[in-house]
Amino acid sequence: MFRKSKSIFIVCLSFFLLAACSTESAKEQVGREKEVNLLFNFATSSLDPNVDTSYVSLRAGMTETLVHLNDEDLTIEPWLAKSWDSKDGQLWNFKLREGVTFQNGRPMDGKAVKASLERAMKDSPAIKNALRIESIEADGNALTIKTEVPFPEFPSELVHPNTSIIDVKESDYINKPIGTGPFAVSKFMPGTAVDLIRYESYWDGAAKLERARFSFNEDANARSLALESGDADIVFRPEVESLENLEAIDGVKVESTSTFRVHQMTMNLERKALQDIHVRKAIDALIDRSSIADTILHGHAEVAAGPFPSTFSFAPDYPKKENGMEAARGFLDQAGYKKVDGVMQKDGKPLTFTLLTYSSRADLPLIAQVFQSDAGQLGIDVKIKQIEIPEEYMAANRDWDLTTYSNLTAPRGDAGYYLNATYHPKGALNFSGADDDHLTSLIDKLNVTVEQDKRSDLAEDIAMYVDEQVYNSFILHPNTLVAYDAEKVKNWITSRSEYYMLTNELDVK
Amino acid sequence: MLRILVRRFIEVVIFVLVITFISFLFVRLAPGDPVLSILQVDDVSITNEQVNELREELGFNDPLFVQYGDWFADFIQLDFGNSYLTNQPVMEMIMSGLPATLELAVGALLVMLGIAIPLGSLAALYRGSWIDQISRAVSLLGAAIPSFWLGLLLMDLFAVRWGALPTMGRDGFRSLILPSVTLGLAITSVYVRLLRSSLIDSLSHDFIRAARSRGISEMRIFFAHAFRYSLPPVITVFGVSLGSLIGGVVVIEVIFAYPGIGKMVVDSIRSRDYPVIQGYLLVMAIVVFMVNSAVDLSYRYLNPELRLKERKHGKWS
Repeated sequence: MFRKSKSIFIVCLSFFLLAACSTESAKEQVGREKEVNLLFNFATSSLDPNVDTSYVSLRAGMTETLVHLNDEDLTIEPWLAKSWDSKDGQLWNFKLREGVTFQNGRPMDGKAVKASLERAMKDSPAIKNALRIESIEADGNALTIKTEVPFPEFPSELVHPNTSIIDVKESDYINKPIGTGPFAVSKFMPGTAVDLIRYESYWDGAAKLERARFSFNEDANARSLALESGDADIVFRPEVESLENLEAIDGVKVESTSTFRVHQMTMNLERKALQDIHVRKAIDALIDRSSIADTILHGHAEVAAGPFPSTFSFAPDYPKKENGMEAARGFLDQAGYKKVDGVMQKDGKPLTFTLLTYSSRADLPLIAQVFQSDAGQLGIDVKIKQIEIPEEYMAANRDWDLTTYSNLTAPRGDAGYYLNATYHPKGALNFSGADDDHLTSLIDKLNVTVEQDKRSDLAEDIAMYVDEQVYNSFILHPNTLVAYDAEKVKNWITSRSEYYMLTNELDVK
Repeated sequence: MLRILVRRFIEVVIFVLVITFISFLFVRLAPGDPVLSILQVDDVSITNEQVNELREELGFNDPLFVQYGDWFADFIQLDFGNSYLTNQPVMEMIMSGLPATLELAVGALLVMLGIAIPLGSLAALYRGSWIDQISRAVSLLGAAIPSFWLGLLLMDLFAVRWGALPTMGRDGFRSLILPSVTLGLAITSVYVRLLRSSLIDSLSHDFIRAARSRGISEMRIFFAHAFRYSLPPVITVFGVSLGSLIGGVVVIEVIFAYPGIGKMVVDSIRSRDYPVIQGYLLVMAIVVFMVNSAVDLSYRYLNPELRLKERKHGKWS
């Protein structure tokens, strides 16, 4: 019996020694090759570029789209498509970049792009709806695309990662999609990581890195620890509380970049109290944006004036609004509410709100609590209700007044998506129930306006009108946090869209 | 033996039918449907008409029995359908995640056995001594410390400070150690106390006194008689643990980015990916049923009394 235990002990000891040795050899190997390990916060079990909602294939530099979003001026620019034009917004002529090949050596021509887009629309109902393509004709490197209706923002929809161009003749989309990007898949471990190898014939010059690993971990603390241990070189969204620790490590740099997301207070306009614009203005005035950004998001957020971050060309210069407890009291006074026995009421009825919130974005319940506390001071009783999937709940139930909701506003550089989805009566995200003829006609007009400058002006007008009517209240634009080993990683750019991560320019020192 | 196996097979068929129907009802009766996730409403401009069209197309407006009938017709042809969100065949998804979860469960059980057997045995042998106190403390701590916190602590110690083990991933045996230890420690506490009390109980039986009077060594009495006699209750809990381990290692899978089916099914539930949820429930039901059957069968070999009783009642020839 004891001899057996001794053997087990020796086996265990040898195992740990071997484990220690292999760690060393792995680290030495990393030192020899030019490679980085990027740790992302969403996992995927499929690399299928046309379906995967984690957009790993585009982010990891495996695939590319026809149109690119310029992260600096937030406009769209050519990528696999060299140029495009349309007279009526319905018939589009695209010219493809020449000399681009897929990672298997086959040329990326009109026929291949047509097949890829058709496959994307067949397999993804979302992309089918997003692109609204009626027909595609290919002739050499030219494509003629006809949309079902005049669709001026069509080119910007081609920024969507799920429209990535792949060689559909290679059918292992899940494990090894063949794109045109600087990196090809060498090994995919679903849910864990994808190993990438440089594609030597990349059209824009072969990548500076020989290899890369794009790995996933959904736990923010674990991601921070991975950077500390050296397992990862670039880490997305580390825990905000761990930032000080990370910054204290030699060479670690933390970047905080504003995004296209807005945290907003969605108002249910079907509720009687909220049909009064003064009540909506009171709610807007009660939201202490700076304090929320500083305390809940530790300063890693931009205070929102409207849905679109101020850098967009269609974000208007909003007039300064009255804010704070006194302003809110003033608006409620105009709406006919008086404070009686510490309760804000009108015609003997107290003003109360049911505020929905959900935990998948950890800061939203905290924002709800801050609002509840501030409203309480004014004599408004706010009941917080935790829900699971906000889109489902808000669409199916009307027993709520307010919701702390987070929304992408212009993910592809065009305002059409957000304005249609949120303020058009037919929009699937119009949870407020906004049905304002003037607003609808403005959005309809935007939907047939082709020229980019005119679109921007119109989107600006719509954003201004929404602000005047206080149909929703906008709180802040949360930042994306990226921490990386600046002593090793060179040329890293934290993209605002979060679409482009591993590029051919990324390098190690 | 054959009769028992045939009986078990019939039981498993009935069990599968009942479990698939009940789970189908529960999953479909829960509010919401996957249409909003499929259409990526938070990223693509969609109208309510488009949402309703897809709902109709996927048959969500059909009566529940029709929907179950459609699912069952595919199921008997061993077609579990494709995920609504990734288009992957459900069985392929489950089979690619199941090995990772199983190896995590087995790793955790080995860790648990490595700690619980010596600690529980020593605590029973030296009842009231310092080692018994230590076993009690270990049990209390094991039950009180949340797994995710323990996982992060171990990661900090072994990966960040000592650099001996990887923080995450499923890249060979080394990456299995930390998640297994975390999970193993979390379930150890139950077994240490259970084994201790079961051993104390068996050591007080007459057959132990009889063995002592025959002059058999204490070591042999302990391992060959008392220990074996004390195992059935431990194995019963072990069977339950294995089932819950396979289904409930989600936190560990998330922290260590270990790609098992626990996390996969939580994601599927969140996005109402019905085919995946349904396929998972079916596979899990079968696995748990098989584990429990194996546990039942093992009693016969561990407890001679059962075999004697069965022989007396003519159940075995």
